[in-house]
Amino acid sequence: MMYRLAGFTGLKAQIFKIAFMSIIDALLIWMFFASMAKEDSSTLSAVIAIIFVVTNLVYFAKFTLPLKFLLPGLVLLVAFVVVPVVYTIQMSGYQYKTGNEISKADALPQIEANGLVLDDLAPTFDLVLGKVDGKWAALLTSQVDQSVLLSTEEKSTVLPAGSFTADEFGIARQADGFEPITEEFAANNEESIVSLRFPYKDASFISPQGIDIAAVLTQTLVYDKDADTFTDTFSGIVYKDNGRGNYAAESDSSMTLTPGWRAWNAFENYTKLFSDPNVRGPFIGVFIWTVSFAVISVMMMFFVGLLLAVILNQKIALRRFYRSVLILPYAIPSFMSILIWAGMFNRQFGAINALFGTEIDFFNSPTLAKMVILIVNLWLGFPYFYLISSGALQSIPSELEEAASIDGANSRQIMSKIKLPLILQILSPLLIASFAFNFNNFNIIYLLTGGGPTNVLEGQTAGATDILITYTYKTAFGSQEQNLGLASAISMVIFFIVGSISLWSLRRSKVLETM
Amino acid sequence: MTVKTKNPKMKSMKLGSHIFIWALILFTLFPIYVVITSSFNPTGSLATSSLIPEIWSLDNYKVLFNNPAVPYLTWVKNSLILAIANAFISVFVGTASAFAFSRMRFKGRKLGLQALLLVQVFPSFLALAAIYVMMERVYTVFPAIGLGSLGGLLLIYLGGSMGVNAWLLKGYIDTIPLELDEAARIDGASSFQVFWIIFFPLAAPVLAVTALLSFIGTFNEFVLASLFLQDVHSRTVAVGLQQFVGQQFGQNWGPFAAGSLLAAIPLVILFLSLQRFIIGGLTQGATKG
Repeated sequence: MMYRLAGFTGLKAQIFKIAFMSIIDALLIWMFFASMAKEDSSTLSAVIAIIFVVTNLVYFAKFTLPLKFLLPGLVLLVAFVVVPVVYTIQMSGYQYKTGNEISKADALPQIEANGLVLDDLAPTFDLVLGKVDGKWAALLTSQVDQSVLLSTEEKSTVLPAGSFTADEFGIARQADGFEPITEEFAANNEESIVSLRFPYKDASFISPQGIDIAAVLTQTLVYDKDADTFTDTFSGIVYKDNGRGNYAAESDSSMTLTPGWRAWNAFENYTKLFSDPNVRGPFIGVFIWTVSFAVISVMMMFFVGLLLAVILNQKIALRRFYRSVLILPYAIPSFMSILIWAGMFNRQFGAINALFGTEIDFFNSPTLAKMVILIVNLWLGFPYFYLISSGALQSIPSELEEAASIDGANSRQIMSKIKLPLILQILSPLLIASFAFNFNNFNIIYLLTGGGPTNVLEGQTAGATDILITYTYKTAFGSQEQNLGLASAISMVIFFIVGSISLWSLRRSKVLETM
Repeated sequence: MTVKTKNPKMKSMKLGSHIFIWALILFTLFPIYVVITSSFNPTGSLATSSLIPEIWSLDNYKVLFNNPAVPYLTWVKNSLILAIANAFISVFVGTASAFAFSRMRFKGRKLGLQALLLVQVFPSFLALAAIYVMMERVYTVFPAIGLGSLGGLLLIYLGGSMGVNAWLLKGYIDTIPLELDEAARIDGASSFQVFWIIFFPLAAPVLAVTALLSFIGTFNEFVLASLFLQDVHSRTVAVGLQQFVGQQFGQNWGPFAAGSLLAAIPLVILFLSLQRFIIGGLTQGATKG
């Protein structure tokens, strides 16, 4: 293999490189045009174009050599880690939740459509659709007094009796200059038919409600483009853009029109975390449990793991057997173990209740659910701590121990005064990393308790065992309200906490200076 | 260390040690025992009266392969595709980056390393809301790499593993002696040749371990997979089994146990046979600090 690769130089390598790059370029160019063809994808097109230009520049121009090695990783890292993080920051500054998901431009026509009200007082019409001079038109027979209207999209005129032909039910079918359309044509043009509007009186118009019936609709919300306001023609209430993604009544700000749109709210999501009691309450509760869960978990795992390492470091019988069995939890895929434990703590079918002959509903009590989580996390994590403690113990030079015992220290003193401080020092970066990992340990919470128990009746949004990351998930993708803006803000808080802890730890371990 | 068993205090300590270890072993083995017996217990639910099943059968295993509502093999296939592709591509791409950081001196190297260090402590699923919205948009243009596709999920995984892998691998690469590349350079090798011919074979064992860790990590990943893969046929084992057992705990428990056992056994064997290397990788971070 070495020889074959060694021959892989000069012309051959050049041809290979050009062939490979052609494939990449062809792919990128195709993606670019496919993306350009769609609406609303200018950002995506721009990203593809940038990748195309940079890739070709780096691999064809006499550009710096390191970039040739770094680029693939860099592209992946920027596109799928940095961009989402930047996007998270942006989203966290927006009102962006259920009811405020679309852009303002998309929201306007929807609000107008919601302002259309069926006019109960006006008659409904039997409808015959057709064309006048090649444009949409309708023969409308009032179901109240059988008077007949010939309407185009510009105007409606009342036809005097005799100027149209009616069928046996009195419905006008034919008129001068009016060509009815075929059923087939109607079936193929349903969309444009539904959006037809024939003028009636003032702000009202006649709109097809099917292919043979029409009704009078009144636009009760009138949009004023210059003032950017909606006026309710019935009540006279004026709705203004409240700057938070909704049109709200001037007199009562809680009266808003739906739908809203995602709007810049100047990072209100963050201030809400601390000022809005509906958000602050669950947030602080979740925060406290997150920290205690992570701290207690790491302490328990470390204690058990270290004790095990100390014991198994001695020459006791069956050492290898113990070791192989006790690292099993680390080898089994953790999502499976968690689901298995979840089944074992089940009230009706669970092995734990079967073992003790009880029927305890572990997942319905906040305290028990928390204890279950800690126990299961201990099961999952102690082998890792055993492995790292064991490694650290063996790395302590035996001279230290000998010197101490010559000075008259007993084995307990050697352990507590010499080995333990050294181990703590060696392992502290890993302990901190483990804390950071458990701080975001989504799987154990989500798969074991789902964050519950949650008292939905009391309107709780967070469960008793929710940690920040599962709470973020629920906030963003919950069943009732999906608040992507708030979820992004909580994500940023987690970023900040985990990031500062890690930075602090790295600075302590002086990794940054030796790079 | 010499243990003097004649000392009565030592003797009680030794007894205590054994009790501790055996308690821990029972704790460790209990769920494993439960899942094995449940997988052979045809009544479906966990034994309600005794922990030892009276009838043994393979019914639960048959469900996995014969029931079209439980496309277990498809789930395994999806998981394997994702885990293998992620392991290979991320290690290859990560090694190239790590090689540049370790062996080349260039402007912005230190800054790049610091940025890498910061990025690798953030799990990518933290930005899940943003990832979701972003991939939803990508889906409208390129369904094959958008929301709901294995391709899109793989891209997210690749991005997420870049930081960790590049950082880990740089640590390993630093330990490979410089003299080897220098010798090759004197003989007229280009940087690419040093990378391919000298460096890759030397680093192979380390790359294998990193790939394995990456494989296990992807196999275990749940958050993004559950958010991404809604369709029953595109699920991974993790999402598929969770949804399956979550529907009806009592009824689906047996097949779930069987499915878990089947998927876990190869991984456990792989892990135990390579544990020496994996553990070396774990403790490296500690002893270097």
